[in-house]
Order: sequence, then C-alpha cells, then structure tokens
Amino acid sequence: MKRTRAAAAAAVATAAALVLAACGGGGGAGGSSGGVYGDCATDPNTCNSAAPDQLQQGGTVTLASEKNIDNWNVISSEGNTDWTGMATKPLLTYAFYTSPDLKPTLNTDLLDSADLTNPTTVTYKIKQDAVWSDGTPVTADDFAMSWKWQNTRDCPECETAGNGGYDLIQSVTGSDNGKTVTVALSQPYTDWQSLFNSAAPLFPAHIGAQQGDLNSPAGLKAAFDYFGSTVPNYSAGPFLVENWQDNVALTLVPNPKWYGATKPKLDRIVIRVITDATQEPLALQNNEVQALFPQPQVDIVNQLQNIPNVSQYQAAGLSWEHFDFNLVNPFLADKALRQALYTSVNVQDIIGKTVGQFNSDIKPLTNKMFVPGQDGYQDNLTATGQGAGNVDAAKKILTDAGYTGVGTALVAPNGQAVPTLRMRYTVGNAVRQTESELFAASAKQLGVNVEIQTTDSLGTTLSTGDYDVIVFGWIMSPAPFGGAQQLWLSTSASNYGKYVNPTVDQLINEAASSTDINAARAQLNDADKIMAEDAYVLPLYQKPTLAAVQNTLGNVRNNASLDGITYNTSEWGIRSGS
Amino acid sequence: MLAFAVRRILYSIPVLIVASFIIFALGSASADPLAPLREKNPPAPQNVIDAETIRLHLDQPLLQRYFSWLGGIFTGDFGPSVVSTANIGADLGDRFLVTIRLIALAMVIALILAVVIGVLTAVKQYSKFDYTATFLGFLFLAMPAFWFAILLKQAGIEFNGLVGTQAIYTIGQASVPPPQGTGAYIADIIGHMILPTISLALISYAAWSRFTRASMLEVMNSDYVRLARAKGLTRRTVMVKHGLRTALIPLTTVTALDIASIIGGAVVTENVFQWKGMGDYLVNSIRMNDVYATASWLLIAATVVIAFNLIADLLYGVLDPRIRYA
Repeated sequence: MKRTRAAAAAAVATAAALVLAACGGGGGAGGSSGGVYGDCATDPNTCNSAAPDQLQQGGTVTLASEKNIDNWNVISSEGNTDWTGMATKPLLTYAFYTSPDLKPTLNTDLLDSADLTNPTTVTYKIKQDAVWSDGTPVTADDFAMSWKWQNTRDCPECETAGNGGYDLIQSVTGSDNGKTVTVALSQPYTDWQSLFNSAAPLFPAHIGAQQGDLNSPAGLKAAFDYFGSTVPNYSAGPFLVENWQDNVALTLVPNPKWYGATKPKLDRIVIRVITDATQEPLALQNNEVQALFPQPQVDIVNQLQNIPNVSQYQAAGLSWEHFDFNLVNPFLADKALRQALYTSVNVQDIIGKTVGQFNSDIKPLTNKMFVPGQDGYQDNLTATGQGAGNVDAAKKILTDAGYTGVGTALVAPNGQAVPTLRMRYTVGNAVRQTESELFAASAKQLGVNVEIQTTDSLGTTLSTGDYDVIVFGWIMSPAPFGGAQQLWLSTSASNYGKYVNPTVDQLINEAASSTDINAARAQLNDADKIMAEDAYVLPLYQKPTLAAVQNTLGNVRNNASLDGITYNTSEWGIRSGS
Repeated sequence: MLAFAVRRILYSIPVLIVASFIIFALGSASADPLAPLREKNPPAPQNVIDAETIRLHLDQPLLQRYFSWLGGIFTGDFGPSVVSTANIGADLGDRFLVTIRLIALAMVIALILAVVIGVLTAVKQYSKFDYTATFLGFLFLAMPAFWFAILLKQAGIEFNGLVGTQAIYTIGQASVPPPQGTGAYIADIIGHMILPTISLALISYAAWSRFTRASMLEVMNSDYVRLARAKGLTRRTVMVKHGLRTALIPLTTVTALDIASIIGGAVVTENVFQWKGMGDYLVNSIRMNDVYATASWLLIAATVVIAFNLIADLLYGVLDPRIRYA
C-alpha cells in the first residue's frame, strides 16, 4: 500500500512538473536562446564569430526570405523593401553601412577613407583595386549616377524611395582616375554619412550608360528602370547572381573579382522565398534552410526553442511602435487632454501583454529621435509621467485644466462633452488590436470613450487623417537628423496628425545642418522634450528583429538595422567538422 | 452532344461576364493599389504616387477600367500589376501549370481511393473495415486543411529522422539548386510532391468516399440490381457494370462541384508548402492590393469551375446511356 501511495504521489508530482514546464515554455523568453548567440546581447558585432581557419571551404547556406524580389533597384520606391535590400547586399557596394550595434560604419572593403574635409565637402577615397565583376573600376561615375537619380533635379521622373540629403549636393566630381570622389554640399549636412550608404548603394554607371546618356533625364530614367527590371549580372560585392527563379529563390556564388579583405568561404548562398514566415521553423528543422530572419511572433519563437542545435536571438531594431493623436480634432487640440490620456496609459503593461510574451527584454521607449544604442539616446519621457499608467495623476491634469466629469463622462472646460474618439489599427494585426484595447481601457478610466476601428489601408487612413488616435510603427533612420526632418517637421508629408511647433521645427532644421554633431544631438533631444511635453506622440517600444541559425553556421548574426542579416555575407561559413 | 456542349459554352459567356464585372468592381472597391506606396516609410514622393495612379489606370472611371481590362484579356493583356515588372498573364500561366500538377495528381488519388473505399465499405457495410474507413473519413473531413498540412510536415520530418536521409521536403516544388543526376532529380521532385499531394487528396477523398458509399448502398438495394442477381448475373458483374456505373453519377456531380473547393484548398496547401501556384498568387495579390491580378485570378478560377461543370454534364451521358442531350 505504501509503495502504491508513493508511486501515486510521484506520478502526481511528475505530472504537475510536466504541466508547469509546459505552461512555462511559452512566454517570457529573453532576446536570446543562448547557443551560438549567447553573447549577442553584450557583443552584437562579433557574436557567433568564427575565424576563417575555423570554417570549412565550400558548402551552401540557404536563408529564408519573407518576400519576393519585384524590383532590383533598391533606390527605387518599388525596390526599396527590406528583403530586396538584404538580397542585393552581397552584390552592391556602398560608403557606409549600419553595424549590429546600430552605428554607422565605413565600408573599408570599398573605401580607404570618407571624410568631411570641410563643413560642405565630403571626400571619398575608393580603393584602387575596387572593381565591378566585369573588371570595370568602381569610380566617381557610380557615385554621380546615384546622386543624379536621387537629387530630384536631374531625373524628375525617377521614382526614388526618398531623396534625403541628395538634393543638398551641388556636384560630384571625380579625380585620380575617378578613385577620389569630391562631393560638394550647398550647406552643412549632419547626416553626411548617410549619403551613398547601404540603403542607397552604388550601381555600375558604365552599364547604366549603355541604356542612355547619363547627362540627360531620359538616359538617367532609362538606366534607373533598367536596374529595376533586370536581374543583376554585375556585382561589386562578394557574391554574384548565379540564378534567379521568380518567387522561388536567388542563388549567389562568389564573385571572382571580389576585392574585399575577406574572401567568401561558401560555394553558394541561396535566398529562398518563403512568404509564410510560420512555415520557416519547420523548414529549418528539416534542414531545407539554415538561417531565418523573420518578424518575431510568439509561435515562431516557441517553435524555434524546441528545435535542437538551433540558436535564436532577438535584437532591438530601428522600428518602433507608437500612439499618435490627430490634432485636427478640436478636443485633442487641447494639450491637457492629450497629456492626461498618455499619462493614464501603462506602456509596461502594454509590452507585457504583447511583444513581452516572446521577449521579456523589451523596455518602454522614451525618445522619438534616437533608439537605445544610437549615440544621443536619452530618456526624455519618464519625467513627463506619460506612459506610466498613473490614472490619479491623469485625473489631476484634467481637473486642474477645468475638465469635469473626470472618471465618468468627461466634459471639456468649455462645457462640451468630450466625444467618443475613434482609434484605428491595421486589420489583422493582433498586437495592435491589443494595444488599442489597452489604450481604450485606460481612457475609459478618465471618462473618455474610445471606439476601436480597423483599417485595411493604413497609408490612406494616415494621409487622409481619418482617425483621432492611431497606433502604427515608424522605422527610425540610421541617419537620425535627416530622419527627424522627415518625421517631425510641421511641413513633412509624414506629419499626419498636423502637429505644429515652430521651436521644434527650428531645432530639427538646425540639427540637420550642424557642424557639431554633439550639439546637433542635444538639439534633437531638446526638440524631443518639447514634443513629449506637447503629448503628440507616445512611443511604446522598439520592435525586435529575430535571427535563427543552425549552430553549424559561423558569423551569421542579427543586424537589427535596415542592413539586416546579410550585412556580412563574405564572412559567412560552415564550421569545420560540422 | 456537340450542339449541347456548344450551347452550354454560349450560356457560360454571360455568366462569366457578369461574374467578371462583380469580381472587378468588388476588387476595385475593397482595395487601394496605392496603399502600400502610401504606407512606405519614408512615404513615397508625390510624383511616384501620381505616376502609379496613371500606370494603374486609377485616373479612369471604374467602367472604363473594367472594359479596357476585359478587352485586353482577349489579346493576352491582363492589365497592369502593382508590381511594375510583372506580367499578369504570363505569371498566371506559369502558376496555373504548377497548380494543375498538384490538383490533378491529388484528384486522381482521391478519386481512386474514394471509389475503392466507398465501394468496399458499401459492400462490407457495418464491418470493422466499414467502421474504420468511416471513422477515418470523418476525421479527414473534420480536419482543417491548414492543420492537417502542418501535421503531415511534422510526420515528414520524423520520417526523415527515422530513415536518416532527407527524403521528404516541406517547402517548395524542388530543391535549389537542383540535385545532380536524373535519379536524384526525380527523387527530389517526388520528395517535394508527397506531402502537399497527400494533404489535398485525403481531404477530398474523405467527402467523396462517403458519397460513393451512400450511392452504392442505394443502388445495391434497388430492384433492378436484385433483378439482375435473380437473372443469374454474378455479384461482381452486377456490382461493377450496374451498381458502380450508376453510383458514379452523383460522384461525378460532386467532383465537378468540388473543383472550386479544391482550388480553395490548394490556396491553403500551396501556402503551407510554399508551392508557387495559383493559390500563392492569389494570396500575394490580395496582400498587395493588386486589383487586376486578383480579378484575373478569379476570372480564371470561375472559367475552370464552369468548364468542369460542363465536363460533368457531358460525362453523365457516358455513365448513363438513358441521358440524352436535347
């Protein structure tokens, strides 16, 4: 009898342990699962390192891509997508890129130096042996073609993704057989390192010239379109295109003319189009792909945790989630109401009920100009009390401002009842639905009703201002000064909520054309503090990016910037003995 | 029969035109092809949006757009895609072949299984075999296609682990790059076909086997079958020549009608197994608010459904000589 009871107790204990283990497996994981990514949190630039002599010569690595490549010209509006950028990163060259620690970094494969020789002149020294795959040198002509495409003057028909800074360039001049490039600016440009960076890489001007006269708008447009519609048969990077199957896969092989310091170890890199990211973990488990870079979701993260010999790491990226008010609404034009609503919101709670379920490391974001990791990031929000979920403080703001009906049915100081606010989020986005519901719940405690509505066209909803409150994401530019102009100036096309503050405009514009980068950062932070006080936008959190690899891969790591996982393909390899 | 077929085809034309207009109008009303551009970060410059408005004919009234799209189809031009480099007609052609490869094999397997299992369960009614087949049939019927496909993937991965080699694949129609050698290439193609084909076939089989069983039971219990047996015909002859042939008529109807749901099932199956066929094309077109691509896809799907219904009507005459086409 004793043995039976003991066995029963052991069985119950075992079952309880199993249940608890099962319950605990899903949530609350940090950014890393350990394995080869164990040190990524402290050392994002060198984690999962393997020296060349630790990698085998040859082999194929297949990387899953969530999107097809529809247009090969990443400078074009159509081609400017994350995955086209990552797929062409091994082919195209550039002056600067963003390293995993989110710092702009000189591309030393292409350049000996890039210097601001005076406040309005940038000089690039191209390596003498830097050539395109057909042997043609990389020269100032390649820089000039890229500039002409993007400056909006030389090629008004070129449908570029943006023109940040290129309109400030007066001339691009080559010397030393085109290996020295002198860029003259009309005024100081704080973000000069963003010019010709990996988001707007160089294309071969000698091939562009075969499409038309690059000194004419028509010729530039012909070249621009050619590079968009033609599968690249050129490369100035470590790999070349061997084959492209539309919607299926891009196959890359080493570029025999690659001049960079690190020669590729792999025979091939295959970028496989898997448009349903939830299918990627099983493909990784079945060794059909060896590396993933999907948008993190609870299901994917949990699946990856259960695959042996696979490591995953989530890094805080440049895109961030936020609430925005539409100040065209006369009630929301009152700062006190905005401050109270944002003060009642508990950002930490929102994180815990959304992205915190698959990454417990995510913290509230407290700056709209910089993200953690970027020089200049500081907390400009906590002091305002916004995002703290302090309902009492929020009620006091309203009471002090003359509102009545606080906590029941809010009435503005002018005697008008605050109407129901319409909050919008993108249909099908469960995270934003939860965020909207939590916002509505906190507003309810102040006596404000919020009606949540979906939108199937976020762009149209934003551009038409068809909302009172909205939740969506911005991608922070690695070039923060030009990025601030694009997002926050009252004259910007991105100023959907019609926020106007001349002091903020002045600070942002001065920061963007400063000759002292530290002073410029201080100016952006001053602008951010004013905006925080104005309670126009409430930042929530940085969205993480997720990389998962089989442990046999070396030097494949998560780069949470727009450069993505393919920023260093020349270093990729399979560990010896794998 | 020829006159009947021609008349049915002529009847189909107005149906297709009305269907195409409804498809086009609903697609245009529900999706803004420029929305992805507007959502870009940074937002696309206004000159880009203006150029796309003209290229996608969004500056024209709906009726004008519809008729120019409809007219273009006769010349092989299915209209401009939101992807400027894409050719909708060519893409649909390629995708159609991929889907047909998947659907045709799955249907053949499903039909063979349905007829064999349906007949056997009718003949051996209330036997252990009948109960087992009935249980499995309802199980497959009840399973969501998406979930069943994921289960199959897990099973495939387990199988690979057991045999110690990669025999079954979970993604795509073939490996990239393809393996060297004819034998390895064929094995690779088969390895990629196994799971999606099983997934699509078993779900269709489940319903069809139930129809076959019910029809067979009804026929086998009918007077003329008893008469045939009384006249001394063998059980096998009665079952195959009289019973099965008659029982196949409702199955033919159901199969033809199910074409639409099989294509629908292929959307899920192709997505899960990442086959780049019609289903994947539809999902991507809807995601990108590509009105012309979505409308063209639906028009082709509608044409296929109508064509299969016509084929079913014609097959009735073959299966039942009493049916004549007036």
